[in-house]
Amino acid sequence: MWKYSEKLMDHFMNPRNVGEIEDADGHSEVGSPQCGDAMTLDLLVDDDENIEDVRFRTFGCAAAIASASALTEMVKGEKIGQALDIRNRQIADYLGGMPPEKFHCSVMGREALTSAVADYMRKRDELERAARELLASPPDDIPDALRAARITRAHSKHVWVASEADLPEPDLEWLGLRLSGLTGRRVEARRDET
Amino acid sequence: MTVYLDNNATTMPAPEVREAMLPFLGDMYSNASSFHSFGTAVREAVEQARSRVAALIRARPEEVYFTSGGTESDNWAIKGAMARHGSGALLVTSAVEHPAVLEIASASGSLGFESVLVPVDSGGNADIEAYRRALEREPALVSMMMANNETGVIFPVGELADLAHQAGALFHTDAVQAVGKVPVDLEARTGIDLLSISGHKLHAPKGIGALFVRRGVDLEPFMHGGHQERGLRSGTYNSPGIVGLGMAAELAASLPEEAHSRLLELRTRMEIGILERCPGSAIVARESDRLPNTLTAIFSGVESESTLMMLDMEGVCASSGSACSTGSKDPSHVLKAMGIGSNLSNSAIRFSLSRYTTADEVDLALDVLERAIAKLRRISPYV
Repeated sequence: MWKYSEKLMDHFMNPRNVGEIEDADGHSEVGSPQCGDAMTLDLLVDDDENIEDVRFRTFGCAAAIASASALTEMVKGEKIGQALDIRNRQIADYLGGMPPEKFHCSVMGREALTSAVADYMRKRDELERAARELLASPPDDIPDALRAARITRAHSKHVWVASEADLPEPDLEWLGLRLSGLTGRRVEARRDET
Repeated sequence: MTVYLDNNATTMPAPEVREAMLPFLGDMYSNASSFHSFGTAVREAVEQARSRVAALIRARPEEVYFTSGGTESDNWAIKGAMARHGSGALLVTSAVEHPAVLEIASASGSLGFESVLVPVDSGGNADIEAYRRALEREPALVSMMMANNETGVIFPVGELADLAHQAGALFHTDAVQAVGKVPVDLEARTGIDLLSISGHKLHAPKGIGALFVRRGVDLEPFMHGGHQERGLRSGTYNSPGIVGLGMAAELAASLPEEAHSRLLELRTRMEIGILERCPGSAIVARESDRLPNTLTAIFSGVESESTLMMLDMEGVCASSGSACSTGSKDPSHVLKAMGIGSNLSNSAIRFSLSRYTTADEVDLALDVLERAIAKLRRISPYV
Protein backbone atom coordinates (compact mmCIF):
# COMPACT_ATOMS: atom_id res chain seq x y z
CA MET A 1 0.00 0.00 0.00
CA TRP A 2 0.99 3.60 -0.51
CA LYS A 3 2.51 5.61 2.26
CA TYR A 4 0.42 8.77 2.39
CA SER A 5 0.89 11.75 4.65
CA GLU A 6 -1.64 12.55 7.32
CA LYS A 7 -2.66 15.68 5.46
CA LEU A 8 -3.21 13.78 2.24
CA MET A 9 -5.32 11.22 4.08
CA ASP A 10 -7.31 14.04 5.67
CA HIS A 11 -8.05 15.56 2.26
CA PHE A 12 -9.00 12.11 0.97
CA MET A 13 -11.29 11.29 3.88
CA ASN A 14 -12.71 14.82 4.15
CA PRO A 15 -12.40 16.36 0.73
CA ARG A 16 -13.05 20.10 0.62
CA ASN A 17 -15.26 21.83 -1.93
CA VAL A 18 -16.96 18.76 -3.38
CA GLY A 19 -19.91 19.28 -5.72
CA GLU A 20 -20.87 21.61 -8.50
CA ILE A 21 -21.84 25.28 -8.85
CA GLU A 22 -25.09 26.20 -10.47
CA ASP A 23 -24.53 28.81 -13.15
CA ALA A 24 -20.76 28.41 -12.93
CA ASP A 25 -18.51 30.87 -14.77
CA GLY A 26 -16.13 28.14 -15.76
CA HIS A 27 -16.79 24.40 -16.08
CA SER A 28 -14.53 21.56 -17.09
CA GLU A 29 -14.68 17.81 -17.52
CA VAL A 30 -11.33 16.11 -17.89
CA GLY A 31 -10.20 12.52 -17.86
CA SER A 32 -6.97 10.63 -17.85
CA PRO A 33 -7.12 7.86 -20.42
CA GLN A 34 -3.93 6.57 -18.79
CA CYS A 35 -5.72 5.77 -15.53
CA GLY A 36 -9.41 5.96 -16.37
CA ASP A 37 -9.67 8.74 -13.81
CA ALA A 38 -12.17 11.54 -14.42
CA MET A 39 -12.97 14.88 -12.88
CA THR A 40 -15.37 17.81 -13.14
CA LEU A 41 -14.61 21.29 -11.82
CA ASP A 42 -16.79 24.39 -11.54
CA LEU A 43 -15.57 27.94 -10.91
CA LEU A 44 -17.32 31.03 -9.69
CA VAL A 45 -15.32 34.12 -10.70
CA ASP A 46 -15.99 37.52 -9.13
CA ASP A 47 -15.97 40.88 -10.90
CA ASP A 48 -12.25 41.33 -10.24
CA GLU A 49 -11.49 37.88 -11.63
CA ASN A 50 -10.73 36.31 -8.30
CA ILE A 51 -11.86 32.73 -7.76
CA GLU A 52 -14.82 33.21 -5.48
CA ASP A 53 -15.81 29.56 -5.26
CA VAL A 54 -14.65 26.26 -6.72
CA ARG A 55 -16.23 22.81 -6.59
CA PHE A 56 -15.05 19.46 -7.92
CA ARG A 57 -15.92 15.81 -8.35
CA THR A 58 -13.29 13.12 -8.90
CA PHE A 59 -13.24 9.46 -9.88
CA GLY A 60 -9.78 8.41 -8.90
CA CYS A 61 -7.44 7.12 -6.25
CA ALA A 62 -6.84 8.70 -2.86
CA ALA A 63 -4.00 10.83 -4.25
CA ALA A 64 -6.19 12.11 -7.08
CA ILE A 65 -9.04 13.02 -4.71
CA ALA A 66 -6.75 14.64 -2.15
CA SER A 67 -4.87 16.60 -4.85
CA ALA A 68 -8.11 17.95 -6.26
CA SER A 69 -9.31 18.91 -2.79
CA ALA A 70 -6.00 20.59 -1.94
CA LEU A 71 -5.99 22.48 -5.21
CA THR A 72 -9.44 23.93 -4.55
CA GLU A 73 -8.25 25.23 -1.20
CA MET A 74 -5.10 26.67 -2.72
CA VAL A 75 -6.86 28.61 -5.46
CA LYS A 76 -9.88 29.92 -3.59
CA GLY A 77 -9.63 33.73 -3.43
CA GLU A 78 -6.74 33.80 -5.88
CA LYS A 79 -6.69 35.74 -9.14
CA ILE A 80 -7.39 33.34 -11.99
CA GLY A 81 -3.99 34.07 -13.53
CA GLN A 82 -2.19 33.23 -10.31
CA ALA A 83 -4.21 30.05 -9.91
CA LEU A 84 -2.91 28.85 -13.25
CA ASP A 85 0.66 29.24 -12.01
CA ILE A 86 0.25 26.55 -9.35
CA ARG A 87 2.55 23.63 -10.10
CA ASN A 88 2.00 19.97 -9.29
CA ARG A 89 5.00 20.12 -7.00
CA GLN A 90 3.21 22.77 -4.92
CA ILE A 91 0.13 20.56 -4.62
CA ALA A 92 2.29 17.67 -3.44
CA ASP A 93 4.09 19.96 -0.98
CA TYR A 94 0.78 21.34 0.29
CA LEU A 95 -0.26 17.75 1.06
CA GLY A 96 2.97 17.01 2.88
CA GLY A 97 4.41 15.08 -0.06
CA MET A 98 3.23 12.04 -1.98
CA PRO A 99 4.86 8.94 -3.48
CA PRO A 100 6.61 9.82 -6.77
CA GLU A 101 4.55 7.15 -8.57
CA LYS A 102 1.49 9.14 -7.60
CA PHE A 103 2.57 12.53 -8.97
CA HIS A 104 0.69 11.86 -12.17
CA CYS A 105 -2.55 11.58 -10.19
CA SER A 106 -2.27 15.25 -9.17
CA VAL A 107 -1.96 16.37 -12.78
CA MET A 108 -5.65 15.88 -13.44
CA GLY A 109 -6.67 18.53 -10.90
CA ARG A 110 -4.49 21.12 -12.59
CA GLU A 111 -5.83 20.14 -15.97
CA ALA A 112 -9.36 20.56 -14.69
CA LEU A 113 -8.55 23.97 -13.24
CA THR A 114 -6.78 25.15 -16.39
CA SER A 115 -9.64 23.93 -18.49
CA ALA A 116 -12.28 25.61 -16.28
CA VAL A 117 -10.38 28.92 -16.32
CA ALA A 118 -10.09 28.61 -20.11
CA ASP A 119 -13.83 27.99 -20.26
CA TYR A 120 -14.43 31.17 -18.24
CA MET A 121 -12.06 33.16 -20.46
CA ARG A 122 -13.66 31.82 -23.62
CA LYS A 123 -17.10 32.92 -22.40
CA ARG A 124 -15.76 36.27 -21.28
CA ASP A 125 -13.97 36.97 -24.55
CA GLU A 126 -16.92 35.78 -26.59
CA LEU A 127 -19.20 38.15 -24.70
CA GLU A 128 -16.81 41.05 -25.04
CA ARG A 129 -16.42 40.48 -28.78
CA ALA A 130 -20.18 40.21 -29.28
CA ALA A 131 -20.72 43.46 -27.34
CA ARG A 132 -18.04 45.36 -29.21
CA GLU A 133 -19.30 44.15 -32.56
CA LEU A 134 -22.85 45.11 -31.64
CA LEU A 135 -21.83 48.65 -30.75
CA ALA A 136 -19.52 48.95 -33.76
CA SER A 137 -22.33 48.17 -36.18
CA PRO A 138 -25.42 49.12 -34.23
CA PRO A 139 -28.79 47.76 -35.35
CA ASP A 140 -31.58 50.23 -36.21
CA ASP A 141 -33.44 49.64 -32.95
CA ILE A 142 -30.48 50.41 -30.67
CA PRO A 143 -31.32 52.98 -27.98
CA ASP A 144 -29.70 56.32 -28.73
CA ALA A 145 -27.72 56.47 -25.50
CA LEU A 146 -25.84 53.31 -26.51
CA ARG A 147 -24.71 54.75 -29.84
CA ALA A 148 -21.98 56.72 -28.12
CA ALA A 149 -21.17 53.99 -25.53
CA ARG A 150 -18.14 51.73 -25.47
CA ILE A 151 -17.30 48.39 -23.82
CA THR A 152 -14.59 48.72 -21.19
CA ARG A 153 -14.23 45.14 -20.02
CA ALA A 154 -16.08 41.88 -19.65
CA HIS A 155 -16.77 38.92 -17.38
CA SER A 156 -18.39 35.69 -18.48
CA LYS A 157 -21.76 36.94 -17.24
CA HIS A 158 -21.59 40.67 -17.83
CA VAL A 159 -19.97 43.51 -19.74
CA TRP A 160 -19.18 46.98 -18.46
CA VAL A 161 -20.31 49.89 -20.57
CA ALA A 162 -18.99 53.44 -20.36
CA SER A 163 -20.32 56.57 -22.01
CA GLU A 164 -19.90 60.35 -21.72
CA ALA A 165 -23.67 60.54 -21.88
CA ASP A 166 -26.15 59.24 -19.35
CA LEU A 167 -26.93 55.50 -19.68
CA PRO A 168 -30.52 54.83 -18.62
CA GLU A 169 -31.26 51.45 -16.95
CA PRO A 170 -33.72 50.27 -19.67
CA ASP A 171 -31.03 50.85 -22.29
CA LEU A 172 -28.58 48.64 -20.35
CA GLU A 173 -31.32 46.01 -20.03
CA TRP A 174 -31.85 46.16 -23.80
CA LEU A 175 -28.16 45.55 -24.33
CA GLY A 176 -28.11 42.69 -21.84
CA LEU A 177 -31.06 40.99 -23.50
CA ARG A 178 -29.59 41.42 -26.95
CA LEU A 179 -26.24 39.97 -25.80
CA SER A 180 -28.03 37.09 -24.09
CA GLY A 181 -29.60 36.31 -27.43
CA LEU A 182 -26.27 36.48 -29.21
CA THR A 183 -24.34 34.33 -26.72
CA GLY A 184 -27.12 31.98 -25.73
CA ARG A 185 -26.42 32.69 -22.06
CA ARG A 186 -28.06 34.97 -19.55
CA VAL A 187 -25.76 37.98 -19.39
CA GLU A 188 -26.16 41.60 -18.34
CA ALA A 189 -24.70 44.97 -19.18
CA ARG A 190 -23.46 47.17 -16.34
CA ARG A 191 -22.51 50.78 -16.18
CA ASP A 192 -18.75 51.18 -15.72
CA GLU A 193 -18.53 53.67 -12.85
CA THR A 194 -14.77 53.95 -12.90
CA MET B 1 -9.49 -5.29 14.53
CA THR B 2 -8.67 -6.79 11.15
CA VAL B 3 -11.27 -8.41 8.94
CA TYR B 4 -9.22 -10.41 6.49
CA LEU B 5 -11.09 -10.92 3.21
CA ASP B 6 -8.07 -11.33 0.95
CA ASN B 7 -7.59 -15.08 1.18
CA ASN B 8 -6.97 -15.50 -2.55
CA ALA B 9 -3.83 -13.43 -2.01
CA THR B 10 -2.70 -15.54 0.89
CA THR B 11 -4.20 -17.34 3.85
CA MET B 12 -3.45 -17.48 7.54
CA PRO B 13 -1.27 -20.47 8.36
CA ALA B 14 -3.53 -22.83 10.30
CA PRO B 15 -2.53 -23.14 13.99
CA GLU B 16 -2.15 -26.91 13.49
CA VAL B 17 0.18 -26.21 10.56
CA ARG B 18 2.34 -23.92 12.64
CA GLU B 19 2.48 -26.50 15.44
CA ALA B 20 3.43 -29.26 13.02
CA MET B 21 6.22 -27.15 11.57
CA LEU B 22 7.81 -25.98 14.80
CA PRO B 23 9.93 -29.10 15.52
CA PHE B 24 11.45 -28.79 12.05
CA LEU B 25 12.53 -25.25 12.81
CA GLY B 26 14.15 -26.57 15.99
CA ASP B 27 15.40 -29.99 17.06
CA MET B 28 14.41 -31.69 13.83
CA TYR B 29 16.75 -29.64 11.70
CA SER B 30 18.48 -32.52 9.97
CA ASN B 31 18.83 -32.78 6.19
CA ALA B 32 16.18 -35.17 4.90
CA SER B 33 18.69 -36.58 2.41
CA SER B 34 21.27 -37.49 5.04
CA PHE B 35 22.15 -41.13 5.68
CA HIS B 36 22.00 -41.04 9.47
CA SER B 37 18.86 -41.86 11.38
CA PHE B 38 18.49 -38.19 12.37
CA GLY B 39 18.11 -37.41 8.67
CA THR B 40 15.88 -40.42 8.09
CA ALA B 41 13.46 -39.19 10.73
CA VAL B 42 13.03 -35.91 8.86
CA ARG B 43 12.76 -37.81 5.58
CA GLU B 44 9.89 -39.82 7.03
CA ALA B 45 8.06 -36.61 7.89
CA VAL B 46 8.64 -35.34 4.35
CA GLU B 47 7.23 -38.55 2.89
CA GLN B 48 4.25 -38.46 5.22
CA ALA B 49 3.56 -34.93 3.98
CA ARG B 50 3.83 -36.15 0.39
CA SER B 51 1.25 -38.83 1.10
CA ARG B 52 -1.07 -36.28 2.67
CA VAL B 53 -0.84 -33.93 -0.32
CA ALA B 54 -1.39 -36.90 -2.64
CA ALA B 55 -4.45 -37.97 -0.64
CA LEU B 56 -5.99 -34.49 -0.90
CA ILE B 57 -5.93 -34.63 -4.70
CA ARG B 58 -6.37 -38.42 -4.94
CA ALA B 59 -2.99 -39.00 -6.55
CA ARG B 60 -0.13 -41.36 -5.79
CA PRO B 61 2.56 -40.04 -3.43
CA GLU B 62 5.25 -40.59 -6.07
CA GLU B 63 3.36 -38.25 -8.37
CA VAL B 64 3.79 -35.32 -5.97
CA TYR B 65 6.92 -33.16 -6.25
CA PHE B 66 7.59 -30.37 -3.78
CA THR B 67 8.41 -26.94 -5.17
CA SER B 68 8.76 -23.43 -3.79
CA GLY B 69 5.17 -22.54 -4.66
CA GLY B 70 2.57 -22.03 -7.34
CA THR B 71 4.70 -19.89 -9.62
CA GLU B 72 7.50 -22.45 -9.67
CA SER B 73 5.05 -25.29 -10.25
CA ASP B 74 3.50 -23.47 -13.21
CA ASN B 75 6.91 -22.59 -14.64
CA TRP B 76 8.24 -26.08 -14.25
CA ALA B 77 5.14 -27.77 -15.67
CA ILE B 78 4.96 -25.59 -18.76
CA LYS B 79 8.62 -25.03 -19.52
CA GLY B 80 9.47 -28.60 -18.52
CA ALA B 81 6.84 -30.06 -20.83
CA MET B 82 7.53 -27.69 -23.74
CA ALA B 83 11.27 -28.44 -23.49
CA ARG B 84 10.49 -32.00 -24.61
CA HIS B 85 9.30 -30.67 -27.95
CA GLY B 86 11.13 -28.99 -30.79
CA SER B 87 11.02 -25.29 -31.40
CA GLY B 88 7.73 -24.05 -32.76
CA ALA B 89 5.66 -26.40 -30.57
CA LEU B 90 2.37 -24.89 -29.45
CA LEU B 91 1.08 -24.04 -25.97
CA VAL B 92 -2.64 -23.46 -25.61
CA THR B 93 -3.76 -21.55 -22.54
CA SER B 94 -6.52 -19.13 -21.56
CA ALA B 95 -6.67 -15.35 -21.55
CA VAL B 96 -7.52 -15.27 -17.83
CA GLU B 97 -4.65 -17.31 -16.39
CA HIS B 98 -2.59 -16.14 -13.44
CA PRO B 99 0.49 -14.16 -14.54
CA ALA B 100 2.64 -17.20 -13.60
CA VAL B 101 1.18 -18.89 -16.68
CA LEU B 102 0.27 -15.90 -18.85
CA GLU B 103 3.74 -14.38 -18.68
CA ILE B 104 5.23 -17.67 -19.90
CA ALA B 105 2.88 -17.51 -22.88
CA SER B 106 3.99 -13.90 -23.47
CA ALA B 107 7.64 -14.97 -23.35
CA SER B 108 7.05 -18.06 -25.48
CA GLY B 109 8.83 -16.51 -28.46
CA SER B 110 12.12 -16.25 -26.62
CA LEU B 111 11.52 -19.64 -24.97
CA GLY B 112 11.32 -21.29 -28.37
CA PHE B 113 7.65 -22.15 -28.65
CA GLU B 114 4.39 -20.59 -29.76
CA SER B 115 1.31 -19.88 -27.74
CA VAL B 116 -2.35 -19.18 -28.30
CA LEU B 117 -4.83 -17.78 -25.79
CA VAL B 118 -8.37 -19.13 -25.56
CA PRO B 119 -10.86 -16.32 -24.87
CA VAL B 120 -13.62 -16.39 -22.25
CA ASP B 121 -17.24 -15.26 -22.43
CA SER B 122 -18.86 -12.49 -20.37
CA GLY B 123 -19.37 -15.00 -17.54
CA GLY B 124 -15.67 -15.81 -17.43
CA ASN B 125 -16.20 -19.30 -18.90
CA ALA B 126 -13.78 -20.68 -21.46
CA ASP B 127 -15.00 -20.37 -25.04
CA ILE B 128 -15.24 -24.06 -25.87
CA GLU B 129 -15.52 -23.53 -29.62
CA ALA B 130 -12.35 -21.42 -29.61
CA TYR B 131 -10.73 -24.09 -27.44
CA ARG B 132 -11.60 -26.82 -29.94
CA ARG B 133 -10.24 -24.71 -32.78
CA ALA B 134 -6.99 -24.17 -30.86
CA LEU B 135 -6.70 -27.92 -30.30
CA GLU B 136 -6.93 -28.48 -34.05
CA ARG B 137 -3.53 -26.82 -34.26
CA GLU B 138 -2.12 -29.87 -32.41
CA PRO B 139 -0.58 -28.24 -29.36
CA ALA B 140 2.08 -29.99 -27.34
CA LEU B 141 0.63 -28.74 -24.07
CA VAL B 142 -2.59 -27.19 -22.83
CA SER B 143 -2.65 -25.18 -19.60
CA MET B 144 -6.08 -24.15 -18.33
CA MET B 145 -6.56 -22.99 -14.76
CA MET B 146 -8.92 -24.88 -12.48
CA ALA B 147 -10.36 -21.78 -10.78
CA ASN B 148 -9.77 -18.12 -11.46
CA ASN B 149 -8.10 -16.09 -8.72
CA GLU B 150 -10.09 -12.91 -9.45
CA THR B 151 -13.58 -14.12 -10.25
CA GLY B 152 -13.50 -17.62 -8.76
CA VAL B 153 -14.91 -19.02 -12.01
CA ILE B 154 -14.24 -22.76 -12.29
CA PHE B 155 -13.22 -24.24 -15.63
CA PRO B 156 -14.45 -27.78 -16.39
CA VAL B 157 -10.86 -29.03 -16.49
CA GLY B 158 -11.86 -32.70 -16.55
CA GLU B 159 -13.60 -32.24 -19.90
CA LEU B 160 -11.00 -29.78 -21.18
CA ALA B 161 -8.28 -32.31 -20.35
CA ASP B 162 -10.09 -35.11 -22.19
CA LEU B 163 -10.40 -32.92 -25.28
CA ALA B 164 -6.70 -32.04 -25.03
CA HIS B 165 -5.80 -35.73 -24.85
CA GLN B 166 -7.93 -36.51 -27.88
CA ALA B 167 -5.86 -33.88 -29.69
CA GLY B 168 -2.67 -35.54 -28.49
CA ALA B 169 -1.66 -32.81 -26.03
CA LEU B 170 -0.56 -32.99 -22.43
CA PHE B 171 -2.78 -31.12 -19.99
CA HIS B 172 -1.65 -28.89 -17.12
CA THR B 173 -3.90 -27.04 -14.73
CA ASP B 174 -3.01 -24.25 -12.34
CA ALA B 175 -5.11 -25.42 -9.39
CA VAL B 176 -3.56 -22.98 -6.93
CA GLN B 177 -6.92 -21.40 -6.02
CA ALA B 178 -8.92 -24.61 -6.20
CA VAL B 179 -7.02 -27.14 -4.08
CA GLY B 180 -8.37 -27.15 -0.55
CA LYS B 181 -11.53 -25.25 -1.57
CA VAL B 182 -13.19 -27.67 -3.97
CA PRO B 183 -12.67 -31.42 -4.32
CA VAL B 184 -9.91 -32.42 -6.70
CA ASP B 185 -9.91 -36.06 -7.79
CA LEU B 186 -7.05 -37.00 -10.06
CA GLU B 187 -8.05 -40.65 -9.94
CA ALA B 188 -11.27 -39.72 -11.71
CA ARG B 189 -9.86 -36.88 -13.80
CA THR B 190 -7.36 -39.02 -15.64
CA GLY B 191 -6.83 -36.43 -18.35
CA ILE B 192 -4.98 -34.08 -16.03
CA ASP B 193 -1.26 -34.73 -16.42
CA LEU B 194 0.17 -31.84 -14.42
CA LEU B 195 -1.36 -29.81 -11.59
CA SER B 196 0.07 -26.89 -9.62
CA ILE B 197 -0.49 -26.39 -5.89
CA SER B 198 0.52 -23.45 -3.71
CA GLY B 199 0.86 -23.96 0.05
CA HIS B 200 0.03 -20.51 1.27
CA LYS B 201 -3.34 -20.47 -0.49
CA LEU B 202 -4.53 -23.33 1.71
CA HIS B 203 -3.32 -22.30 5.15
CA ALA B 204 0.25 -23.59 4.78
CA PRO B 205 3.16 -21.13 4.81
CA LYS B 206 4.64 -19.22 1.90
CA GLY B 207 7.54 -20.70 -0.02
CA ILE B 208 6.16 -24.21 -0.41
CA GLY B 209 4.10 -25.74 -3.16
CA ALA B 210 3.81 -28.88 -5.18
CA LEU B 211 3.51 -30.10 -8.72
CA PHE B 212 1.55 -33.22 -9.51
CA VAL B 213 3.20 -35.07 -12.39
CA ARG B 214 1.19 -38.05 -13.54
CA ARG B 215 3.20 -41.24 -13.70
CA GLY B 216 4.69 -41.66 -17.13
CA VAL B 217 4.69 -37.96 -17.99
CA ASP B 218 8.11 -36.90 -19.15
CA LEU B 219 9.24 -33.57 -17.79
CA GLU B 220 12.56 -31.75 -18.13
CA PRO B 221 14.18 -31.28 -14.68
CA PHE B 222 13.65 -27.79 -13.33
CA MET B 223 16.46 -27.46 -10.82
CA HIS B 224 19.70 -29.28 -11.46
CA GLY B 225 21.68 -30.16 -8.38
CA GLY B 226 21.73 -32.75 -5.65
CA HIS B 227 19.19 -35.13 -7.20
CA GLN B 228 16.35 -34.52 -4.74
CA GLU B 229 12.85 -35.34 -5.95
CA ARG B 230 14.25 -38.07 -8.19
CA GLY B 231 16.57 -35.64 -9.87
CA LEU B 232 13.75 -33.56 -11.27
CA ARG B 233 13.71 -30.81 -8.67
CA SER B 234 16.97 -30.57 -6.80
CA GLY B 235 17.53 -28.51 -3.70
CA THR B 236 17.65 -29.43 -0.02
CA TYR B 237 14.23 -30.42 1.23
CA ASN B 238 12.37 -27.49 2.77
CA SER B 239 11.29 -29.79 5.56
CA PRO B 240 9.42 -27.21 7.71
CA GLY B 241 7.47 -25.99 4.67
CA ILE B 242 6.82 -29.50 3.39
CA VAL B 243 5.55 -30.68 6.76
CA GLY B 244 3.37 -27.54 6.93
CA LEU B 245 1.91 -28.23 3.51
CA GLY B 246 1.28 -31.84 4.50
CA MET B 247 -0.63 -30.76 7.59
CA ALA B 248 -2.59 -28.17 5.59
CA ALA B 249 -3.53 -30.87 3.09
CA GLU B 250 -4.57 -33.17 5.92
CA LEU B 251 -6.75 -30.41 7.41
CA ALA B 252 -8.34 -29.61 4.05
CA ALA B 253 -9.02 -33.28 3.37
CA SER B 254 -10.69 -33.77 6.73
CA LEU B 255 -12.96 -30.72 6.59
CA PRO B 256 -16.53 -31.57 7.53
CA GLU B 257 -19.11 -31.84 4.76
CA GLU B 258 -20.78 -28.57 5.77
CA ALA B 259 -17.56 -26.52 5.45
CA HIS B 260 -18.23 -25.90 1.76
CA SER B 261 -21.87 -24.90 2.24
CA ARG B 262 -20.98 -22.74 5.23
CA LEU B 263 -18.49 -20.81 3.09
CA LEU B 264 -21.04 -20.53 0.31
CA GLU B 265 -23.62 -19.16 2.76
CA LEU B 266 -21.19 -16.51 3.98
CA ARG B 267 -20.27 -15.54 0.44
CA THR B 268 -23.96 -15.28 -0.49
CA ARG B 269 -24.58 -13.18 2.61
CA MET B 270 -21.82 -10.84 1.48
CA GLU B 271 -23.09 -10.66 -2.11
CA ILE B 272 -26.68 -9.96 -1.12
CA GLY B 273 -25.48 -7.37 1.38
CA ILE B 274 -23.43 -5.62 -1.29
CA LEU B 275 -26.25 -5.58 -3.83
CA GLU B 276 -28.78 -4.34 -1.28
CA ARG B 277 -26.66 -1.78 0.51
CA CYS B 278 -24.46 -0.39 -2.26
CA PRO B 279 -26.58 0.97 -5.10
CA GLY B 280 -24.99 0.60 -8.52
CA SER B 281 -23.06 -2.51 -7.57
CA ALA B 282 -22.88 -5.80 -9.44
CA ILE B 283 -21.27 -9.18 -8.82
CA VAL B 284 -18.95 -10.40 -11.55
CA ALA B 285 -19.74 -13.81 -13.08
CA ARG B 286 -22.55 -14.29 -10.60
CA GLU B 287 -24.28 -16.95 -12.71
CA SER B 288 -21.11 -18.95 -13.36
CA ASP B 289 -19.82 -21.96 -11.45
CA ARG B 290 -17.46 -20.36 -8.94
CA LEU B 291 -15.28 -21.13 -5.93
CA PRO B 292 -17.37 -20.83 -2.76
CA ASN B 293 -15.03 -18.26 -1.19
CA THR B 294 -14.51 -15.70 -3.96
CA LEU B 295 -16.52 -12.71 -5.08
CA THR B 296 -15.62 -9.72 -7.19
CA ALA B 297 -17.99 -6.77 -7.04
CA ILE B 298 -18.07 -3.72 -9.26
CA PHE B 299 -19.07 -0.45 -7.61
CA SER B 300 -19.77 1.77 -10.59
CA GLY B 301 -18.49 5.32 -10.36
CA VAL B 302 -16.12 4.56 -7.50
CA GLU B 303 -12.44 3.94 -8.09
CA SER B 304 -11.13 0.74 -6.53
CA GLU B 305 -7.99 2.07 -4.88
CA SER B 306 -10.03 4.69 -3.06
CA THR B 307 -12.43 1.99 -1.88
CA LEU B 308 -9.58 -0.24 -0.72
CA MET B 309 -8.06 2.68 1.16
CA MET B 310 -11.29 3.42 3.00
CA LEU B 311 -11.79 -0.25 3.81
CA ASP B 312 -8.22 -0.47 5.04
CA MET B 313 -8.71 2.45 7.39
CA GLU B 314 -11.43 0.43 9.11
CA GLY B 315 -9.35 -2.73 9.16
CA VAL B 316 -11.00 -4.51 6.23
CA CYS B 317 -8.50 -6.19 3.88
CA ALA B 318 -9.62 -6.76 0.29
CA SER B 319 -7.97 -6.34 -3.09
CA SER B 320 -8.47 -5.01 -6.58
CA GLY B 321 -7.45 -6.41 -9.93
CA SER B 322 -5.47 -3.38 -10.94
CA ALA B 323 -2.87 -1.16 -9.36
CA CYS B 324 -2.31 2.47 -10.29
CA SER B 325 1.37 2.24 -9.55
CA THR B 326 3.96 3.12 -12.12
CA GLY B 327 2.00 5.71 -14.01
CA SER B 328 -0.33 3.45 -15.87
CA LYS B 329 -3.22 1.66 -14.32
CA ASP B 330 -3.62 -1.56 -16.21
CA PRO B 331 -7.14 -2.80 -15.79
CA SER B 332 -7.45 -6.42 -14.72
CA HIS B 333 -6.70 -8.70 -17.69
CA VAL B 334 -9.35 -11.10 -16.41
CA LEU B 335 -12.17 -8.55 -16.37
CA LYS B 336 -10.94 -7.16 -19.69
CA ALA B 337 -11.08 -10.64 -21.23
CA MET B 338 -14.69 -10.86 -20.02
CA GLY B 339 -15.50 -7.70 -21.97
CA ILE B 340 -15.77 -5.45 -18.93
CA GLY B 341 -14.66 -1.90 -19.81
CA SER B 342 -11.81 -0.18 -18.03
CA ASN B 343 -14.03 2.24 -16.12
CA LEU B 344 -15.98 -0.62 -14.56
CA SER B 345 -12.96 -2.84 -14.02
CA ASN B 346 -11.23 0.05 -12.26
CA SER B 347 -14.18 -0.05 -9.85
CA ALA B 348 -13.83 -3.75 -9.02
CA ILE B 349 -13.05 -5.09 -5.56
CA ARG B 350 -12.34 -8.72 -4.76
CA PHE B 351 -13.36 -10.23 -1.45
CA SER B 352 -12.06 -13.72 -0.74
CA LEU B 353 -13.17 -15.58 2.36
CA SER B 354 -11.69 -18.56 4.16
CA ARG B 355 -12.94 -21.23 6.50
CA TYR B 356 -11.88 -18.95 9.35
CA THR B 357 -14.16 -16.10 8.20
CA THR B 358 -17.16 -15.49 10.46
CA ALA B 359 -20.61 -14.04 9.79
CA ASP B 360 -19.79 -11.18 12.16
CA GLU B 361 -16.76 -10.30 10.07
CA VAL B 362 -18.83 -10.32 6.89
CA ASP B 363 -21.41 -8.02 8.54
CA LEU B 364 -18.72 -5.66 9.80
CA ALA B 365 -17.15 -5.51 6.35
CA LEU B 366 -20.55 -4.74 4.84
CA ASP B 367 -21.08 -1.84 7.28
CA VAL B 368 -17.70 -0.37 6.39
CA LEU B 369 -18.24 -0.97 2.70
CA GLU B 370 -21.66 0.68 2.64
CA ARG B 371 -20.25 3.83 4.24
CA ALA B 372 -17.17 3.92 1.99
CA ILE B 373 -19.12 3.50 -1.23
CA ALA B 374 -21.71 6.11 -0.23
CA LYS B 375 -18.96 8.55 0.65
CA LEU B 376 -17.00 8.02 -2.55
CA ARG B 377 -20.15 8.28 -4.63
CA ARG B 378 -20.73 11.74 -3.24
CA ILE B 379 -17.34 12.73 -4.65
CA SER B 380 -17.76 10.94 -7.98
CA PRO B 381 -18.50 12.76 -11.24
CA TYR B 382 -20.23 9.65 -12.57
CA VAL B 383 -23.23 9.48 -10.22
